[in-house]
Amino acid sequence: MGRKTEITNLLANLPRLGAGLSYRRPFRDELLQRQSEVDFIEIIGDFYLDAPPEKLDELALLMEHFTVIPHFTTLSLGSAEGLEERHLEKIYLLLKRIAAPWWSEHIGYTRAGGINLGHPSPLPFTKEAVETMARNIITARRAIATPLILENVCSPLIWPGAEMTEPAFIAQVLHHSGCGLLLDVTNIHANSTNHGASPAEFIEQLPLERVVQVHFSGAHESKGRLVDSRTQSVPESIWQLLDLAVSRAPVRCICLERDDNLPPLPEMLWEVERARALGRLYKRWN
Amino acid sequence: MELALQQKLVARLATDREFREKFFADPARVAATEGLTVAAETLSTLHHEQMRQFARLLRTRRLAQVALRLPLTRKALGQRFADSFRNYAVNPPAAGQRPSEDAIAFVKHLEAQAAEKGLEPAWALSLARYEAGRLAAEWHNQRLVIRLLPHDVKRLATLMAAGEVPLGDYRRSSLAVWWRPTVASRLKHWLS
Ligand SMILES: [Fe+2]
Repeated sequence: MGRKTEITNLLANLPRLGAGLSYRRPFRDELLQRQSEVDFIEIIGDFYLDAPPEKLDELALLMEHFTVIPHFTTLSLGSAEGLEERHLEKIYLLLKRIAAPWWSEHIGYTRAGGINLGHPSPLPFTKEAVETMARNIITARRAIATPLILENVCSPLIWPGAEMTEPAFIAQVLHHSGCGLLLDVTNIHANSTNHGASPAEFIEQLPLERVVQVHFSGAHESKGRLVDSRTQSVPESIWQLLDLAVSRAPVRCICLERDDNLPPLPEMLWEVERARALGRLYKRWN
Repeated sequence: MELALQQKLVARLATDREFREKFFADPARVAATEGLTVAAETLSTLHHEQMRQFARLLRTRRLAQVALRLPLTRKALGQRFADSFRNYAVNPPAAGQRPSEDAIAFVKHLEAQAAEKGLEPAWALSLARYEAGRLAAEWHNQRLVIRLLPHDVKRLATLMAAGEVPLGDYRRSSLAVWWRPTVASRLKHWLS
């Protein structure tokens, strides 16, 4: 069996979860009341590393009621200076606690030369950056057996000296690392719109058979640019991209992201329901 | 090796406003003084405006993380929360700094700002110090944290949780104590 088939088979064995949302503490109690309306929740794994007992109690409570998918932002898989062993160990222990079917990180870096960017930032679209990602992911895999999927980032900044397009870069990273894709359609929408490209064409150029999870969120315009703000309701243009992604890729789950300025929970649950219906329409789940 | 230097340069440009403005005024000279000449040559066509927007995006995300940890302070200050944060976040967070540490450092900044120019409403600072105390006890292995605050924190917190806007000065001392008998035990809290 070729390596490519092996990876596709591995991803095909991941469970079909349905539609859910990224968990935020302010709506915890209300969400617990309406738990049947989400198929899973995504937590920011970083918040539970080095966590006090109360935070781990919260995690235990969530695990009792939901399927929990951990998403990470600070491992910095794209850092040329390599990964921190201790950080990997902590992630390993958390994943063991959650028994998650997969975990996710970004195609980007947050750490360089003693500076903490605080948020996954873009890489240059070069062979050197592909090799760096692949090297770090091999290190991560040695420590953590749970399947890893990678998310495309949103950035107004494009590094000079690109040797390939962004979709080609993402494809190369996935190919060399053997990872699945966490496709963030809002990030693609923001990047494409801001850089004058077509988001649908961007999606068509990706290795869609690798998609495991999809992120979608609102976006708004700020100073003439589209920002993935995760603070607004989801516009129709994003729903169209989501439709395209779900119709073409073997999506296992769709996750609504909201960061700041949380609307009333019923509004978000309505968006989750609409995403779930989309998955049903394309027979991604029952 | 080259990517490491480039990433360092981009990280510095994205998080350090003064460095960014100096760099784009004279990239070659500034890069040379920082030992980043090779990285700066490769990145010579970096776009100043894109970099500014990128910096703004990072700051917005950092602000969201801090606001999440200081919900009462944020409500109390409204738009002034973000304004103060902009002044605070001119320097990058240290490597390995966690959001809770960032939030505590921001409260220190608010304290300095209040001492220098005052803060409106005055009781917002008590709420900020209260929330920073909780973060220190929750996240930073401090087994005993005590804060004596000049405002009625309990009443303010109750009003704000109910969605009301507190009017008045709420002057009345509050004593807030957090303690954890052992490292593994749950945090206890007392507020009067
Ligand atoms: Fe995302």
